[in-house]
Amino acid sequence: MKHQIRLNVNGAYYDLLVDPRKTLLEVIRNDIGLIGTKMGCNCGECGACTVIMDGRAVNACLILAVQANDKKILTIEGLASGGKLDPLQEAFIDYGALQCGYCTPGMIMSAKALLYKKSSPDRGEIQESIAGNLCRCTGYISVIEAIEAVIKAEKRP
Amino acid sequence: MEGREFTVVGKKLPRIDALAKVTGEGRFISDIQLPGMLYGKVLRSPLAHAKILDLDISNAEKLPGVKAVVTAKDSPRKTFCIYPNLANNLILQDTKVRYVGDQVAAVAAIDENIAEEALDLIKVEYQELPAVFDPEEAIKSSAPRIHEEENNVAAYIKRQFGNIEDGFARSDVIVEGRFKSPSVAHCCMEPRGCVASFDLSGKLTIWSTTQTPHSLRQELAEVLDIPINRVRVMSAYVGGAFGSRMFMDPIDAIASLLSRKSGKPVRIVNTREEEFISSRTRYPMIIELKTGAKKNGKCVVRQAKVITDNGAYNNLGSSVTGNACSKLCQLYSVPNIKFDGFVVYTNNVYGGACRGYGNPQITFAMETQMDEIAVKLGMDPAEIRLINANRPNTITVSGCEITSCGLTECIEETIDRSGWKMKKSKKRKNCGIGMAVVMHGGSGGKFYWGDNCHISSAIVKMNNDGTVDVLTGSKEIGQGSDTVLAQIAAEELGVLLEDINILSGDTDATPPCGGAWGSRQTFTAGIAVKSAAADVRRQLLSIATDMLEARIDDLEAKNGMISIKDYPEKAVPISTVASVSYTHLGTPIIGKSINNDPWSSTPDPVTGFGNVSSAYSFGVQVAEVEVDTDTGIVRPVKITCAYDLGRAINPLLAKGQVVGGTLSMGLGYALTENLVRKKGKVQNISFLDYKILTALDICDIECVFVETNDGRGPFGAKGIGEPAMIPTAAAISNAIYDAIGVRVKELPITPERILKALKEKS
Ligand code: FES
Ligand code: FES
Repeated sequence: MKHQIRLNVNGAYYDLLVDPRKTLLEVIRNDIGLIGTKMGCNCGECGACTVIMDGRAVNACLILAVQANDKKILTIEGLASGGKLDPLQEAFIDYGALQCGYCTPGMIMSAKALLYKKSSPDRGEIQESIAGNLCRCTGYISVIEAIEAVIKAEKRP
Repeated sequence: MEGREFTVVGKKLPRIDALAKVTGEGRFISDIQLPGMLYGKVLRSPLAHAKILDLDISNAEKLPGVKAVVTAKDSPRKTFCIYPNLANNLILQDTKVRYVGDQVAAVAAIDENIAEEALDLIKVEYQELPAVFDPEEAIKSSAPRIHEEENNVAAYIKRQFGNIEDGFARSDVIVEGRFKSPSVAHCCMEPRGCVASFDLSGKLTIWSTTQTPHSLRQELAEVLDIPINRVRVMSAYVGGAFGSRMFMDPIDAIASLLSRKSGKPVRIVNTREEEFISSRTRYPMIIELKTGAKKNGKCVVRQAKVITDNGAYNNLGSSVTGNACSKLCQLYSVPNIKFDGFVVYTNNVYGGACRGYGNPQITFAMETQMDEIAVKLGMDPAEIRLINANRPNTITVSGCEITSCGLTECIEETIDRSGWKMKKSKKRKNCGIGMAVVMHGGSGGKFYWGDNCHISSAIVKMNNDGTVDVLTGSKEIGQGSDTVLAQIAAEELGVLLEDINILSGDTDATPPCGGAWGSRQTFTAGIAVKSAAADVRRQLLSIATDMLEARIDDLEAKNGMISIKDYPEKAVPISTVASVSYTHLGTPIIGKSINNDPWSSTPDPVTGFGNVSSAYSFGVQVAEVEVDTDTGIVRPVKITCAYDLGRAINPLLAKGQVVGGTLSMGLGYALTENLVRKKGKVQNISFLDYKILTALDICDIECVFVETNDGRGPFGAKGIGEPAMIPTAAAISNAIYDAIGVRVKELPITPERILKALKEKS
């Protein structure tokens, strides 16, 4: 039995008929075709699939698509607007906060959710917010620096 | 010429693939979706060692939605290994399985669930055989045989240089010890995968998370028994590799078989569990090391016996062990060496290349003993390293020609920057500081196999608007090679970085290259790209001689202009010259270059003598730790790094290699990572149980480069990818000794091991 759901992804509505066993991650990637959200483990341990659901960072591989019914979802593709990158995306580029880039979308979404919650988190809070996003390439320092740079720039009048 | 001002090289420029990667636009292997694509799954052995008595796929084939099932019968049954003479692995086993995870059959179906279900319907009748997992057991004559060979020794590597008896006799201090290093997983964030598609003409197109596309093309042609030009390995982003994706994985070939049989494209992507169970690992080694030194600290002799767990099949075990031996001879240029390396089959998963290629294992042992010698002689551990440091323009007893070498400067930099002297003299309780050094090939090398893996070539095309296409067989795996090679091309041609379009890794469109291994691409592919670009520049300048009425030697190309040297106003845009050449003269400008790394040679197979690499990179790490002696927990506080990488083509990316190598891999190797097996079955098959470091586990890091401007490297550059992670474990271990006076000689240095060592001490 398939279920009818409605998702708001990056501001657009999608009416979908989904298998109740399907995860939000599968639906975002396969049914909606937004492949920027990655799968690294499919069991909530790596953070590659992080999206923002109703303002909070979640692992899309742990959420069933039916649970996301009527929810507002933001993925990496929805961050840049009007051809302008989000400051986090800019900072990731400038600080060299990515190498292979596989963890990057999830990492950026976790940082974005943090900045929704707090305008000037300290280093510990930044580390905490991306602790669920594993990265085998960067050693995290450049990621933390990029996030800090955004916070600093936004504090400026 | 390399003393000149650069316009693109040496600049902290953002990666050229950064935009694609921060927006989610970048396409990775697991994002490739083709019309009609099927999903493949592999049936893996649940037993570590067994005969296959019967294999029945009929029920699986009948399941609706299943489009193909393959077994060894569907393959030409050709053994594979990058060293053909060592080949003893099959892409699908049919008589025997030799480790938990060995592949016996595979299914392609319209979705993953059906494919999974079909696997359950395949009946395999096994007859379990006695198995052996400990290499020290496996080496005994009484151990069960894993292959039809006399014993389980897959390779024995014996090397002798100088005279060790004499060396030990002349030593004032001798230290001996046994060091153990674990099996670790690469943990690339993107699981290994591929999409294979055979067309009706019999041509295979494959997207694979490989780091060696041109080698993969040859290997697939071989195991599928088709001509090389019937295989195209495509280019796409790869979510990490670190050595694990060097050369073919059975799934590359299995997906191809499934595609050929079903007539549809087939995708196989490992689950994370499969990554832990059946992907390549870092070779575990048991190293018995004995080192002798003179009173003045000079290290004069080393003897090592190494037992490498080769796992169930030959891959790179002998090569990695050989490289550990190379480092034994090279680091500190010790004149008397004896090495006995036993590469032993076990019923564990077979290993592969892993960032450092045997060097992290042997460096852990060598650099721990350097510290022990310093303690025995009452010397400062930094001082003893300065005394022994390799020097430029020297030759090791094993025949390695060290040209550029900034090791001494690196040691001095870390002493200064870490506050070494002060911290050594004013000790705080349970806090310690430790140093370790690395020497590694900075150009790849011809260390163990034939020369053809170590070629790089490039084609550079000038378009009629002055933009440039660079075609290189190299592979971008996250390390930033596309950006670095584009910078090299732009600098050589005198154009802007944004004028460069680079295509790497697509085997039908790019010329051959060994690929991403051995920290080789900046150097070896860099030289190829630089020479091809120089070829284009020469052609441009020659056309411009008429336009500017000047001799070719008086012209230079810079910032998009060709001008007469010292008369910048006498200039013509490169785009104009390109257009004249393309449109008016009808001679589009194309440059090419092949670099077979003429300065390196395959070492003599019997003696091991030879110059393995064209260049050597050096580095030093100083680690500071705090140890909780109640819990055994080690808290890394800071790591200070200095590296001689010749020249940083892109300091932002080079720093990324060092910081990431140290914190994401080196620290984990030192403190947490270990694949735990029970009867050959990996127990920690998830990130919850296999602990790689998170953003909460890292420490401060400082990184500085010593630029020695290598005479052979492109713009003086040498490789940095692997050296980045190699010394971390030894530096941490030495810092722990400084903090609490115990040495743990088995990695990872877990709290349990610390507590045990403390107990033994008291
Ligand atoms: S894929 Fe969702 S947490 Fe790893
Ligand atoms: S950039 Fe490769 S995993 Fe983070």
